[in-house]
Amino acid sequence: MSCRLFFRLCRALSLCLTLLCLCVWPLQQAQAADPEKILHAVFVAPENGFDPAISRDLYSAQVVQSIFETLYTYDYLARPAKLAPQTAEALPEITDGGKTYTIHLKKGIYFYPDPAFGGKRRELTMADYVYSFKRLLDPKLASPHSWLFEGKVVGFDELAAQAKKTGHFDYNAPVAGFELLDRYTLRVHLKHPDFNLGMILAHEPTSAVAHEVVEKYRDVAGQVMGHPVGTGAYYLAEWVRGSRIVLDANPGYRGFTWNFQAGSDPEDQAIVAAMKGKRMPQIGRVDIRVMVEDQSRWLSFIDKQVDLVELQGPLAPKALINGKLRPELAAQGIQLSRIIDPEISYNYWNMQDPVVGGLTKEKIALRRAIALAYNPQEEIAIVWNGEAVPLEYPIPPGIVGYDPDYRSSVHYNPRLANALLDQFGYKKGADGYRTLPDGKPLTITYSARADSNGRQQSEIWKKVYNSLGIRMKDNMMPFPDLLKAEKQCELMSRNSPWIADYPDADNFMQLFYGPNTHQNNNGCSQIPEYDALYAASQKLPDSPERNLLYHKMARVLEVYAPIRVGYARYRNMLAQPNVIGYKKHPILHCEWLYFDMKKEKK
Amino acid sequence: MAAYILRRLWQMLPTLLGVVVLVFLLFNWVGGDPAYILAGKMSNPAQIANIRKQLGIDESYWVQLWIFVKQIVTMDFGASWSTGETISHVLSTRLGPSLTVLVPLTILETLISIGLALGVAYVRGSLTDRMVMIACTVGMSISILVYIIVFQYVLAYKFGWFPVQGWGDSFSENLFHYALLPILIGLTVSIAPSLRLFRTFFLDEISQDYVRTARAKGLSEPRILWVHVLRNAAIPVVTYVMSNLPALLIGAFLIERFFSIPGIGREIILAVERSDFPVIKAITVYVAAATMLFNLLADLLYKAIDPRVQLK
Repeated sequence: MSCRLFFRLCRALSLCLTLLCLCVWPLQQAQAADPEKILHAVFVAPENGFDPAISRDLYSAQVVQSIFETLYTYDYLARPAKLAPQTAEALPEITDGGKTYTIHLKKGIYFYPDPAFGGKRRELTMADYVYSFKRLLDPKLASPHSWLFEGKVVGFDELAAQAKKTGHFDYNAPVAGFELLDRYTLRVHLKHPDFNLGMILAHEPTSAVAHEVVEKYRDVAGQVMGHPVGTGAYYLAEWVRGSRIVLDANPGYRGFTWNFQAGSDPEDQAIVAAMKGKRMPQIGRVDIRVMVEDQSRWLSFIDKQVDLVELQGPLAPKALINGKLRPELAAQGIQLSRIIDPEISYNYWNMQDPVVGGLTKEKIALRRAIALAYNPQEEIAIVWNGEAVPLEYPIPPGIVGYDPDYRSSVHYNPRLANALLDQFGYKKGADGYRTLPDGKPLTITYSARADSNGRQQSEIWKKVYNSLGIRMKDNMMPFPDLLKAEKQCELMSRNSPWIADYPDADNFMQLFYGPNTHQNNNGCSQIPEYDALYAASQKLPDSPERNLLYHKMARVLEVYAPIRVGYARYRNMLAQPNVIGYKKHPILHCEWLYFDMKKEKK
Repeated sequence: MAAYILRRLWQMLPTLLGVVVLVFLLFNWVGGDPAYILAGKMSNPAQIANIRKQLGIDESYWVQLWIFVKQIVTMDFGASWSTGETISHVLSTRLGPSLTVLVPLTILETLISIGLALGVAYVRGSLTDRMVMIACTVGMSISILVYIIVFQYVLAYKFGWFPVQGWGDSFSENLFHYALLPILIGLTVSIAPSLRLFRTFFLDEISQDYVRTARAKGLSEPRILWVHVLRNAAIPVVTYVMSNLPALLIGAFLIERFFSIPGIGREIILAVERSDFPVIKAITVYVAAATMLFNLLADLLYKAIDPRVQLK
């Protein structure tokens, strides 16, 4: 063999080796997930289905978040929740005073292979996102998430209105507000400044779906609830409706290296030490069982059949003492991740109601008196087993805009409450009950869900009204009826919970905005001062100026008392000792993309 | 016989129509408006109106009732409003798990109850008879919820004799592994009332003259009990068993919830919670039809058991 031939052979060999390495490298990247690492998780209620535009329950959302990807997500450890790119290259470029967003998509992201793609690899492009956004406003789909884009994007509502008229949504029609600069770049033009669009684009209904999949698998209503195909870290391997969901790691998922920074929580340091530098996802299979009953979930967890469980309601005392894990459980290495949910529970009085509503002084005095006579600590202790914290502010902890130093002017003070009613002419009769200042009878109807919690809450409020000498009538209703009456401003008073869709104060302050009556403004309050302040706050990004407006709005709520801010509940998650680096995120529905676990023993 | 069956089937139509109208009225009266749940948290009146339009509940009651009747005739109840799953798929996938528990339970319950009832009827008035009756009364006084909680905790968790909960992919695994404890609980709850009832049927027969004659002829006691008494007491037993069979179609709600069995009972409760009318109406119509068919079958069995019975 000549020397030249030898060198040619060597060169060819090295070229082959290089090519081989290049082929194998991405495969190794994708194979980080270990099939022997199987997470056994539990859903408390059955899922509905996995179409991002349609899924409306928390459990379906967990699966949707595992299979599909949004442009943005949240940093695993940062608190308050911090926006981070997911399929986007970086955070959006916001220009034009919050009216224009430019977003660049990462290249080389592929959908999980599916026959709908005709055997070809299908790359994710910005057109897929625009298609997915359009589905949210398609009248035929009647998406519960249409609010994410309604009234926001230039030309979008007009397209939806056209579809309502013609009965056909034209997905090929261009929308001026969604400007595709190239395959990977989208510029969104908004009608009004909105600094929360990034968070909206992190909400799982805005995940990318492929039009080929929708066209192949949609039902008569246009939904694809049973055949989810996304670009996410997992794919649906098995599904027995209402019983079992198996998610396997997507071998084509690009993966990422765990590199989150520890936040203020001391436990973060341990998580960072255990997880830093790992290729994610590590968990190869997530095996989810639906267990509706508390006892079944609890016994399954302590029997080590389940790795991760949420302690709901009556289960908390079984595992916790004063918010800490019971020593016998801690000794077994069981881990507790406890957060205050990004929610508020508040009591509202219908501002359109002739008895408790209105902005006259005696009506304000009546509502303020009731607000002063209510003790949230008592409700927390009796109804929620101590698993909640009273709130001073309508914005809960963990939400951008929350102020831990804010102090409400409304605190439990039944003496002051009674004095206020006396002062404004709510006189007590011979029977011990008060009448309205004009002498007419005063009876307040409190509505609640016809379940055990609703009954307990009703009892608490009965006690509040009794302490004031006000007659209270309870009105226990099935949930659909309650919702209907509430949206039509027909309830006089109710305790209403609200959990964040995105971690910004705006998501909470909009609850009391006048134009949102018949939508989310359950008390149907229309207070001009509040409405003006809220409208001004919408034009501002997170800033001291906006926080000042929120302070003023909270004071307006205290003065006019359309609501009484109550509490936010704890969310307690228990993990077995084999789970590594788990921490409950306040906004993300599932975290199995971000933590690790020990292999299952064979 | 054929004419009798045809006549009975024909007579079912007005009954079924009554059920249809009743279900329709009840749903529209107390069923709640599903549009408010389907609209999600951030709903507005236009969106709710659109959902009502998509579901067809904005149509007049007459039109909705006519659609309901057409669905029954074509046996196509459409899809669930909550999940989009077709009703035929809901029924075909949920009935299997329910029947896996309930069919063995019904067979065992009937056989065990008959055997025990014959035994205690034979020793009527004895200490054994009285003890069994006391045990039955105590057993019937305890809620099924207590049995489930105690058995699941003690037998499954503490002793580890059964799985705490769960459901698998294969029929044999489900029947011989996951369904055992639910069946045991079902038996504990259901045997007592059946046993007491069957005992009275057998006591009525044991005191008949033909039993004394059989004894006088020298027939053995087992033969008297298992052949003569049982056959003559079979008609009320068949009536009881047949009247219970339609319950197979509605599953065992509490057992399914606690043991995470993806059965039809759990599905019905979910449908009621979600105001999912297509699921509710399909199951109601099927159960009504099944009840009538099982009643017809019971009448036919009477004839087979006792040739003296005339089918008119």
